[in-house]
Amino acid sequence: MISSYTLGIYPRSEELIEATRKNSSNLSSLFLKEKKEYIALEKKAKLGFVCDPLLEWDDIFRPFAQLNSVKAAALNRIYEMNTFYRRLSFNGKALSGAGKIVKSNLAVSLLPKNRAVCLPEPYTFAERHVSSAYKKNDEFAIFLAKLLRKEIDSLTKAGFKLIQLIAPSIAYNINKVDLDLVYDALNIVTKNLKAKTILHFYFGDVSKKIGKLLDLPVSGLGFDTTSTPISSIKKHSFSGKALAVGLVNSYNTKIENKKKCISEMNQILSKTKPEEAFVTTNFDLEYIPKEFARKKILILGQIASGVRNV
Amino acid sequence: MSRKLFPTQEIGSLKKPMWLLNLVKNPSISKEVKARTRNDAALLNIRTLEDLGLDIIYDGEVRRVEMYEEPVRYIKGFDFAGRIRSWDNKYYNKARVNGPVSYKRNFHEEEFKYTKEHSKRELKVPVTGAYTLADWSYNEYYKSKDDLILNLAKKVLRPLVKDLVKLGAKIIQIDEPAATSHPAEMDIFRESINETVKGINAKFVVHACFSGNDYMALAPQMSEIKAQQYTLEFANRDTWNLGLNDKARKGYQVLKAFREYGYKGEIGIGVIDVHVDEIEPPELVRDRILYAAKALGDPAKIYVNPDCGLRTRSRLVAFNKIKSQVKGAELARQKLS
Repeated sequence: MISSYTLGIYPRSEELIEATRKNSSNLSSLFLKEKKEYIALEKKAKLGFVCDPLLEWDDIFRPFAQLNSVKAAALNRIYEMNTFYRRLSFNGKALSGAGKIVKSNLAVSLLPKNRAVCLPEPYTFAERHVSSAYKKNDEFAIFLAKLLRKEIDSLTKAGFKLIQLIAPSIAYNINKVDLDLVYDALNIVTKNLKAKTILHFYFGDVSKKIGKLLDLPVSGLGFDTTSTPISSIKKHSFSGKALAVGLVNSYNTKIENKKKCISEMNQILSKTKPEEAFVTTNFDLEYIPKEFARKKILILGQIASGVRNV
Repeated sequence: MSRKLFPTQEIGSLKKPMWLLNLVKNPSISKEVKARTRNDAALLNIRTLEDLGLDIIYDGEVRRVEMYEEPVRYIKGFDFAGRIRSWDNKYYNKARVNGPVSYKRNFHEEEFKYTKEHSKRELKVPVTGAYTLADWSYNEYYKSKDDLILNLAKKVLRPLVKDLVKLGAKIIQIDEPAATSHPAEMDIFRESINETVKGINAKFVVHACFSGNDYMALAPQMSEIKAQQYTLEFANRDTWNLGLNDKARKGYQVLKAFREYGYKGEIGIGVIDVHVDEIEPPELVRDRILYAAKALGDPAKIYVNPDCGLRTRSRLVAFNKIKSQVKGAELARQKLS
């Protein structure tokens, strides 16, 4: 059985881009209309898990700026992309307000029961932002793990069955990352959690550390196959773990060859034998315009269904 | 040619006047009127930059859409895919390469001729570099990013620069904001610049933005790149405290590394932060220049500019910042005289 989902933020349409730039009076209704369209498209594509397209999120961290003790500050580059996020400045150790932020920024009522959500994992979160209260990054990561746990508990109560924990900082810094810290932080996030958690790596090749990453306390691992070669994934057994393969490229407008992807996926599954498998986008669809994102969502569903039917 | 110490210059872009934007977007206005209005706007920028006292100027890139979309419109092999977010609600029109790239015509000819005709100052012509054009596009034709970069350098940038030099351009600034965003790709970046300038007699300036590793990936390459000057960002990482000590001038520490790596060329030091509206006092500009001159070891190698193009600031703020930049350079000269 193979399932499917997309990751992260979707692109806005040209109409919505113009409306956000002009702060048009019909902005809220446009956001809603476009969210509904994307969710309908995910359903039409028969994706295993449906996500909010996060159209109102300026970056994956930004909702957390709504916490009282957090301010959005300077622009910073998203790794090596020509795209920027705002660094958040955390000024305190209190978790008051945590647990409602993400949910309140999602169109929960529009989502079907098979709903998933995308969040940064604690190491990535800590590596990209600053805290005046925690001078050491490991303490900050643990603090953020507790914060994320509150959010995730609230999300699982709201029916989210799959939590995608995006881990670009682990991938980008794979040769220097403290995996013990990653383990401890993830343990806080996932311990006794009923929802599935997939730790998804992109923006760096993690092929040499897959063995160690398999020991992390998450339900499964996900990979961007443009940065971590498929050949390296195939070398590992995913017995007892879920495997998410980011075969659909969000950094290219070329639409994937369905037959080739189905064949590739079948080969990966026969080698890795995961407990559960997903085919996914490699990262956020917002790196391509909407016209192409729509096609990629549809092909993603077709690949998943093709593999399922083999 | 001997010149005064600390020549002042701009990086390139200024915010376009609102009257120009409104007029060029108006479909009922004729092409002729739009062309005359663009000339008026260029002349306004040229005269303003001259009056502010800059030694080396251009036209504020007033005729260009922006630094990526403008050249891509005129290069064969690209087509626009649509808008992609830069940050928040800011987007850029991203293109994909779907065929062999080639040069069609000198797309900066009109602006260069006009600026040359209307200014007696030295002109520095900004052109977007091959590396950045490749990095900001989807490569859906060439086997590798390196192939795309080198094809752009040889088949587009080199003929463009040759044509500009034929028209009388003496200083060409190759804008490469993407250069330092991929530290592992500095070899191909070096090769792209060297291929671009091959066989062309002009002064070459490379402008690279700061991107996370404090130019330390660039430093070892600087002597190997055939450029006579680098215009770089420093001010946005510096303090606003006066003084010539390392703590006050922390944004300029990397200049020492350039020297240690054996770089002997010129540096256009960014003394103006283009991301804030506050105007740097001339005394702060002075101290930044004096510190940089000492760190690099030769005051004659220091040129003075903003960190980057000033198009992100209002025109009033941009002009006040340039005024302070020019005054600060004068204060620094007085200090060394």
